[in-house]
Amino acid sequence: MTPIHELSVHNNAQDTMQAPAIQIENLSKWYESFRALTDVNLTIAYGERIVICGPSGSGKSTLIRCINQLEVHQKGRLVVNGVTLVPGMKGLSAIRRDVGMVFQHFNLFPHLTVLDNCTLALRRVRKLDRREAEAVAHANLERVRIPEQADKYPSQLSGGQQQRVAIARALCMKPKVMLFDEPTSALDPEMINEVLDVMTLLAQDGMTMVCVTHEMGFARKVADRIVFMDQGQIVEQAPPSEFFTNPKHERAKLFLKQILH
Amino acid sequence: MSFVDILRGIFEGFDVTLIVTLLGLAYAIPFALVAGVLQHFSQGWLRLLVTILIEFWRSSPLIVLLYAFYYSLPAFGIYLSGIAVGAMVLGLNIGGYGSQSIRAALQALDRGQVEAGLALGLGRLDVLRLIELPQAITVMIPTFINLAIQLIKGTALVSLLTLTDMTFRAKEISQLSYDPVRIYSSLLLAYFIVCYPVTIFGRYLERRASEGRRSISEI
Amino acid sequence: MKFDFAFAMEIFPQVLQGIGNTILVAIASFIGASVLGFIWEILRRSSRFVRPVAQLWIDAIRSTPVLVQLYFLFFVLPHYGIVLPAMLTGVLGISVYFSGYIAEVFKAGIDAIPRGQSEAASSLGLSRPDTIGYIIMPQMLRNIAAPLGAYSVSILKSTPYLAVLAVPEMLGSAFDVASETYRYAEPMVVAGILFLALAMIGVALVTRLERRLGLTPAKDL
Repeated sequence: MTPIHELSVHNNAQDTMQAPAIQIENLSKWYESFRALTDVNLTIAYGERIVICGPSGSGKSTLIRCINQLEVHQKGRLVVNGVTLVPGMKGLSAIRRDVGMVFQHFNLFPHLTVLDNCTLALRRVRKLDRREAEAVAHANLERVRIPEQADKYPSQLSGGQQQRVAIARALCMKPKVMLFDEPTSALDPEMINEVLDVMTLLAQDGMTMVCVTHEMGFARKVADRIVFMDQGQIVEQAPPSEFFTNPKHERAKLFLKQILH
Repeated sequence: MSFVDILRGIFEGFDVTLIVTLLGLAYAIPFALVAGVLQHFSQGWLRLLVTILIEFWRSSPLIVLLYAFYYSLPAFGIYLSGIAVGAMVLGLNIGGYGSQSIRAALQALDRGQVEAGLALGLGRLDVLRLIELPQAITVMIPTFINLAIQLIKGTALVSLLTLTDMTFRAKEISQLSYDPVRIYSSLLLAYFIVCYPVTIFGRYLERRASEGRRSISEI
Repeated sequence: MKFDFAFAMEIFPQVLQGIGNTILVAIASFIGASVLGFIWEILRRSSRFVRPVAQLWIDAIRSTPVLVQLYFLFFVLPHYGIVLPAMLTGVLGISVYFSGYIAEVFKAGIDAIPRGQSEAASSLGLSRPDTIGYIIMPQMLRNIAAPLGAYSVSILKSTPYLAVLAVPEMLGSAFDVASETYRYAEPMVVAGILFLALAMIGVALVTRLERRLGLTPAKDL
């Protein structure tokens, strides 16, 4: 486990040499007649921080949920951590354990303590014994600055605390990629920052992150690249400096105007 | 006897089944409404009294209630026909359950509804009549349908008081010709024919109600 | 014939004799109904082809009176050479009848678990059996505890149906007294009081047990 204080400054050039963490080619998905995603192309390198934004219903969540196959795509190629994901394939859990996911509504397990939420997959999937698993869990709860709540149940925590536990739970599996699906949308305003701070720390540690979020301040500060989606398509991709000051596409301009007032 | 003959013979008892059901509803609905509303609003000794009454009818086993009233009312000088006792006991038993769903539905209503009604200057009774009860009753229609089915099924008990309902007819037929497999299969089928459409109807109402709620929340 | 209170007091112990069988039948039927109900619900959730059959089966159980189901088993099973003691037939009948309702309890208990729970489990790489065993089942048990408790009392209240099969439970004992003394009012009223008391005790026990097991969470999730 990397100590949190050891902030590695990230080097993009180095990663582009490796195979990408996620490679999406011509990805399409539809529900009956409704097209959720149309020919999406996106390559994400290890260590990259991507923020996906766009109006509601633009397919952001669908895209991120395809990456760990909570949603199944119908067309196109999807390679995650070097494995090509085929709809209906077996052995998905082997891929998912290397892809952490944080949900809008936390999805903590209400019948388990914070600690057990973190250790369950370590013990059942990674086959660690209880002591090892708890050590990993404590380290990660420390990382999200919530070690003192280990023995509580999720319902006893605030929304912000719950979401930090959810992040710790995902981190315990030592994922190569972290997916965040609107992690702050269900939170009261005063709790948003504690979650964003933890995410910022993660980014500074060099975690590969794909975040669907409306928090443009976070995007500006943390993202290497902003991906703007509308109507199931990627309309524009640019570094934040460029995207926020000089968006190319009309729909991106309109979106920014609405969201930044 | 053929299957169809048996079924036809059983349905000769349908009129008694139907009458007991309808009379039972005539007891159940007013009892559920009055007891449920009273239990929701009353306090102190009145509430205690209503609660005891409801629990008596709801918590005693139906078959025991039926026998106890059928045999003991005459001992207290009250002479009622089997149909009257059957309908009363079934109706009040089911009504006891119904009162609990009315009370639950009233309790589940958003307090803001009452406050909005009072703020408009409506009297408390008008708020109950025009705002609370209509919403509560809509919510409990599926429960009500289920209770109606319980009532129909419960009417089989009146055969024990020698009323010639469908179940009693089946027993009569089995005395004429010993063919338990056909006769009791037919009897099960007969009740299924009567109750299943009600189940389907209830499910339809439930679906419609939940769709209605969803469309409201989407607006 | 006037109601004789002294006589009623006198026969109390005789009617009470059936209480052992009443409780035995109730417990056995509760176990039977839970097991059968669980099986129906598993079948309903299995393949696309089994589902409508299981649904119709559950509906059929719920659309017919328990009294008629008891008669059916009592008269039809021996016809096929299956001769069971009356009490076992009765337990079977009550188990089947309530299994139709308990299947719905299991269904609601599973449906009430948000989809996000199994999504979170699979995003952690948990296998399907682990997801069911560690995530779905524990939450389902918590969801079904209260309705299952309520049905256990309903089952207790249905045990006197077994009197029609001449099973010597409490209502049966009351009938024994009645046929010996030719007085029906008093034994029936005594049985009524005893069953009402038993049901009340049942409700209190179930509530306490739920609280003791912490199955009704103090704080809502």
